[in-house]
Amino acid sequence: MKKREFAITLVKTLIIAVFALAFLLPLIWMVTSSLKNTNEVFAGNWQWLPREWKWGNYAAVWTDPDVSMFKAYLNTAFITVIGTVVQLIISSMAAYAFAKVRFQGKQVVFVLFLATMMMPTEVTIVPRFILFKTVGLYNNLWAIILPHFFNATAIFLLRQFYIGLPDDLMEAAKIDGAGHLRIFGQILLPLTKASLISLMVLSFISCWNEYMAPLIFLIKKPLYTISQVIRWYMLDDLQRYDLNMAAATSAIIPVVILFIFCQRYFVEGIATSGVKG
Amino acid sequence: MARKYRNQNQIKENIAGYAFVMPALVTYVLLIAFPFFLTLILSFTEFNFLKVRSLAKLGKYISWIGLDNFRAILRDRRFMQSISNTFVYAFTTVPASIVLGLVIAYLLNGRVFCKKPLRLAFFIPYISSIVALGAVFKFLFREDGLVNRALMGLGWIAEPWKWTVEPSLSKIPIIFLVIWTSLGYVMIIYMAALQNVPRSLYEAATIDGASGFQQFTRITLPMVSPTTFYLVIVRLIAIFKIFGSVNVFTMGSSIASNTSIVQEIYSSAFSDYAHGYASAQSVVLLLIIILFTAINFGGQKKWVHY
Repeated sequence: MKKREFAITLVKTLIIAVFALAFLLPLIWMVTSSLKNTNEVFAGNWQWLPREWKWGNYAAVWTDPDVSMFKAYLNTAFITVIGTVVQLIISSMAAYAFAKVRFQGKQVVFVLFLATMMMPTEVTIVPRFILFKTVGLYNNLWAIILPHFFNATAIFLLRQFYIGLPDDLMEAAKIDGAGHLRIFGQILLPLTKASLISLMVLSFISCWNEYMAPLIFLIKKPLYTISQVIRWYMLDDLQRYDLNMAAATSAIIPVVILFIFCQRYFVEGIATSGVKG
Repeated sequence: MARKYRNQNQIKENIAGYAFVMPALVTYVLLIAFPFFLTLILSFTEFNFLKVRSLAKLGKYISWIGLDNFRAILRDRRFMQSISNTFVYAFTTVPASIVLGLVIAYLLNGRVFCKKPLRLAFFIPYISSIVALGAVFKFLFREDGLVNRALMGLGWIAEPWKWTVEPSLSKIPIIFLVIWTSLGYVMIIYMAALQNVPRSLYEAATIDGASGFQQFTRITLPMVSPTTFYLVIVRLIAIFKIFGSVNVFTMGSSIASNTSIVQEIYSSAFSDYAHGYASAQSVVLLLIIILFTAINFGGQKKWVHY
């Protein structure tokens, strides 16, 4: 019996492993191409590994005087860090108010927020362009950062979490004379750490990979984000496939590392936003 | 006295409540509500914002044309093509990613070796930059790319197919790209849902002599149907607004056979500077999303078991 069970598990593992390998093949091709010579990338034979490992491709991408990946990393990191941190602060505050403060008009505001969950931001690109251009945020990283501040899904999920926290915690603090600010900051906020990490990972991914907004608002090369650097190599007349793939690999690596370290929070974050949303 | 005290307390709660909601409310009004209403208003105008010299005389640059934009949309063959392309993407990739995602989640949920690394493999495409992955796919589907060489090696095709230029083929690389990048998400959601199916149901079915396949169709499928419902809605919306994976393939080409709705909105707004027309196209997109979400909610009684 035991032997049979082991055999079934092994067969199942092998089936999934074949799928998984098929899934990874394009990425493997990307990494090996990033280390090849330009004319080797599409050479007509089945050679996966580079003849000569050209680590210099990465140096070229990262230090290009015109469009450098290093600068793009700094820009993208700036967008990601500020966008994520402020989004979590704003969402936590709103979630606390919706769950634990009995103020008038609460339902109306909450429904207004929820109504936007279905509306894609793509619908409002024209007014956003007009707005940001008017206030001087064209060619400015803040044009990418600001829209990340409001996230209805994050507010909704955190509100669910705050509702689950027992009111007794608050009542005791209230008797001791604590106001909402102290109850929120010192007692309840620390309890939401796990949810905050899940939301942080989700926000990181969405800021890091953002494509459309930078395309519209960041025209000057020193402001390029990582996505735009990859795009720049795709449109470049020199057709340096090797450098293009080195740029693509550079974009993906930090996300994969983050995922490996935060796998648990990540899976929980997506799963709760999915099953309960 | 007591009443006055209660009023004062309510005022205090109101102040606290709005103070806490204020940052979210301000960003909501400025970045969501205001742009949304402006989209609606601009959809009835002919307007090029880049021509505006002074904001004080904004009215001079806006001409009200009623429903003309929407009439033009009906005659705009390229935009109509983009709507039908987007439907093709939605109705191929959503079912495919949901079915494959469920199968992989089902297999991964049981006893397997190396569960975490395997899960990671399916997940990397979902969390990675769409331009990076799009660049890879565009290269794989080139005339001298790996896909053509593999198919020719297998003897399935005689000469290289022009995947990115030939109108009848140009949607295929994008469809594969979308399935590849969305499957990890579907899989994770299903894995969470499968964990909530009570084991006792399977045990009872085993005692009654139900086969593995019967257990899957009679127990698993109905039990995860609310999740399937959620995934259909979320994935449909995600595909209706598809941009990145399409833009990678349309950049530098002018064929209409693989363009998408948002790609067309983008080019109306930022290549043609027709900001009124682009707003009208955005309204059409929003109506499509609302329509399909309503249809889904209407049909859920037939197949969703709570």
